[in-house]
Amino acid sequence: MQENIQPPILTVSNLHKKFGPSEVLKGVDMVMRQGEVVALIGASGSGKSTLLRCINRLETPTSGTIRFRDSEISGSDAGLDLNQVRREIGMVFQQFNLFPHLTALENVALAPRRVLGMAEQQAEKEARELLEQVRLGAKADSYPAELSGGQQQRVAIARALALRPALLLFDEPTSSLDPELVGEVLAVMRDLAREGRTMLVATHEMGFAREAASRVMFLDEGRVLEEGPPEQILEAPREERTRAFLARVLNR
Amino acid sequence: MRHRYKLPLSFRPGLRCILRCKNFMHPIVWPWEKRLSLLRFLAALLVFSFLLLGVHSAYAESSLQSIRNRGVLVIGTDATYPPFELKTGDNFEGFDIDFGNEIGKEMGVPVRWDNINWDGIFAALQTNKFDLVISDVVITDKRKKEMAFSRPYFLSGQTIVRRKEDGRIRSSKDLPGKLVTVQQETTGQYAVEKLGLPAQQIRKFETMQDALLEVRNGRGDAAVGDLPALREMIRKGYPELETVGGIFVHENYAVVARRGEPELLAAVNEAIGKIMADGRYAHIYEKWIREPLPANYLVGLDKVSSQGTPIAEGATGSSFTIRWSLLRSVLPLLLQGALMTLWITFLGLLIGIPTGLIVALGRLSPFRPLSLLAIVFVETVRGTPLLLQIFAIYFVLPSLGLSLPQFVAAVVALSLNSAAYIAEIFRAGIQSIDKGQMEAARAVGMNSRQALRWVILPQTLRRVLPPLTNEAVALLKDSSLISIIGLSELMRVGREQASNSGSPITIVLALALLYLLMTLPLTYLVRRLEARWEPISRPRVRGVRSRQATS
Ligand SMILES: Nc1ncnc2c1ncn2[C@@H]1O[C@H](COP(=O)(O)OP(=O)(O)O)[C@@H](O)[C@H]1O
Ligand SMILES: [Mg+2]
Repeated sequence: MQENIQPPILTVSNLHKKFGPSEVLKGVDMVMRQGEVVALIGASGSGKSTLLRCINRLETPTSGTIRFRDSEISGSDAGLDLNQVRREIGMVFQQFNLFPHLTALENVALAPRRVLGMAEQQAEKEARELLEQVRLGAKADSYPAELSGGQQQRVAIARALALRPALLLFDEPTSSLDPELVGEVLAVMRDLAREGRTMLVATHEMGFAREAASRVMFLDEGRVLEEGPPEQILEAPREERTRAFLARVLNR
Repeated sequence: MRHRYKLPLSFRPGLRCILRCKNFMHPIVWPWEKRLSLLRFLAALLVFSFLLLGVHSAYAESSLQSIRNRGVLVIGTDATYPPFELKTGDNFEGFDIDFGNEIGKEMGVPVRWDNINWDGIFAALQTNKFDLVISDVVITDKRKKEMAFSRPYFLSGQTIVRRKEDGRIRSSKDLPGKLVTVQQETTGQYAVEKLGLPAQQIRKFETMQDALLEVRNGRGDAAVGDLPALREMIRKGYPELETVGGIFVHENYAVVARRGEPELLAAVNEAIGKIMADGRYAHIYEKWIREPLPANYLVGLDKVSSQGTPIAEGATGSSFTIRWSLLRSVLPLLLQGALMTLWITFLGLLIGIPTGLIVALGRLSPFRPLSLLAIVFVETVRGTPLLLQIFAIYFVLPSLGLSLPQFVAAVVALSLNSAAYIAEIFRAGIQSIDKGQMEAARAVGMNSRQALRWVILPQTLRRVLPPLTNEAVALLKDSSLISIIGLSELMRVGREQASNSGSPITIVLALALLYLLMTLPLTYLVRRLEARWEPISRPRVRGVRSRQATS
């Protein structure tokens, strides 16, 4: 694999997050460059969701800095427009969180319409294209409750793409899917990776990490214990804890 | 003595009336009328009608015969109106009591008196609780349709009071252009209004005494009220005043019987004739009215004797069947009442729903003073009876300088009340929305207002629709409490009609049907919407569903 020489799009330094007395993130450092696909692995409770949620500021970091593109986004100073930041960082949730009162098309078109003020026709046209891209063109007028879990998650991906974000966050996007539905979602994510999207993916799908990721990060008890190319981390981890984790996941 | 012969006391608006009611939180006497659910209403209705029918068939024989067999004549009265009837200790006394006892003597049976509230007196007569009513009941055309009246036994009506020797005022013709005082919402006020006096020439007072005082003090020219009452008051405390011109609106008292009992009615009329003829009447009159029986008084009573129900006519018609003719005649009134009920309920919801939403958002606000304010509002309204709130808004606010007209007060009370309940419905609704929804909305860059507007509230609205409809139905029924401030909504109109007519069952059935007609479409509509919105109100259903529910 070639060295990525793009400028950093995301730089996290010494990030700490406490919930009350318990410290969940204990000084995370990471850098992501344009076009990188980073798989974030780690045991349940290791802080993967918290890290992602700090990056798009659904959580407020306790200390440390997060630089996204050219701005510092970890603080809470008045000049910082979090809504603007979130528009540029798409998020896909483990539980999909589609808007149940809207059709697939409306789910995707809502933010362009209401946040960017895009004209209805234009927003719908773009939403339709995105649904085609996640292979759900035929389901545009279905409500979430009428879709399978895999279809719902693909609509959620289209929704996250609608504002053309510079960075996409995935929080275990296939963990609440029935096994036979996992493939269709991963296929869409692979498409996105191939397109050169910058993606940070918390996942337990080691197959996906191996094939699609440019880099794998192992998060352990709120710290990045080890990171590197997938083949190195997955095949020959340096750390004992990484090895133990992989053994547990792969022998499931 | 009070003026209770057009409207029963509790139907009259005004602080005075409500304070005087023994128990103003329950000015309503019909047993079927306490904030009832529709089901309970219908159940009560059924029981009530069976009782009526059952009791009636037991008395289907000649009523005079059964009185003689029983050996006692039972007469109902509302013994709170001296000098006609009052109760001292266990004893009834007054003009009507002496008079009724003489009627019993004529019929050869002793009299047992039954004390009952005015509001329920005719219904009780119709359900055979007693044989006759003697309670200074005024003959009116409407009552005559439903009940049988004896020949009049007392001449009464509206008369004028002036300062002694005030030559400007001799009869009702002289009243236009003068300042006339009355007791508010009495037949006196209506009589003056009928004369065509503009509102600014009529001064209404809480008590007749205040109205007389105004004339004595020279600020009013004349007072109008009920003749026997005015005579009594003037005799006791207003030597400077006098009545003039006699009665200009006649309101004569008669004994009331059920229709369909001609023998009893004939016996009562015969007894009245004898009592008048042999001097007993004059004796009773002088004892209680405390003045000599005026010359020509008995001649006057004879002249109006045809005002009673003709014996032959009294023989027709039963009081217990559903009366289509009655229904036809009162239906327009009831419909008007229903329209008012719908209108104030609609306005109450129109204001109450957005207000409730704002209060709910306030309560959920992280800004502590705002949420505290919302909590105080909600808990105050939910923790006090609606009746008290209506009462406070209409009767207490004026003393703080904010005097609202009836209709406005009614709408304000219903709006505030429903707003509190609706606020809780919205709060629960908003809190029931998965918090992932707010996160997903924020994650696509919406600010909290956009998230609320486009994601949270649309789902909340669909979810709270059933409880919101329940609230609408409850409000529609609770709007009957508005009658305390004298607005003619359905329940009040129905109650008036029921106590004026001899067939409460007809009115009760009509009321039940009208309320059902208003509430059932609402529940039906909601069921339709619920079905339509099912995929939304039950999110995260896996698998593929048919689309019929949403198309
Ligand atoms: N809002 C919160 N309040 C308190 N504790 C939290 C909260 N969110 C996460 N945690 C705790 O932080 C730890 C890490 O959680 P999470 O980031 O969800 O881990 P992962 O996604 O890797 O499973 C867990 O112990 C969890 O209980
Ligand atoms: Mg997680």
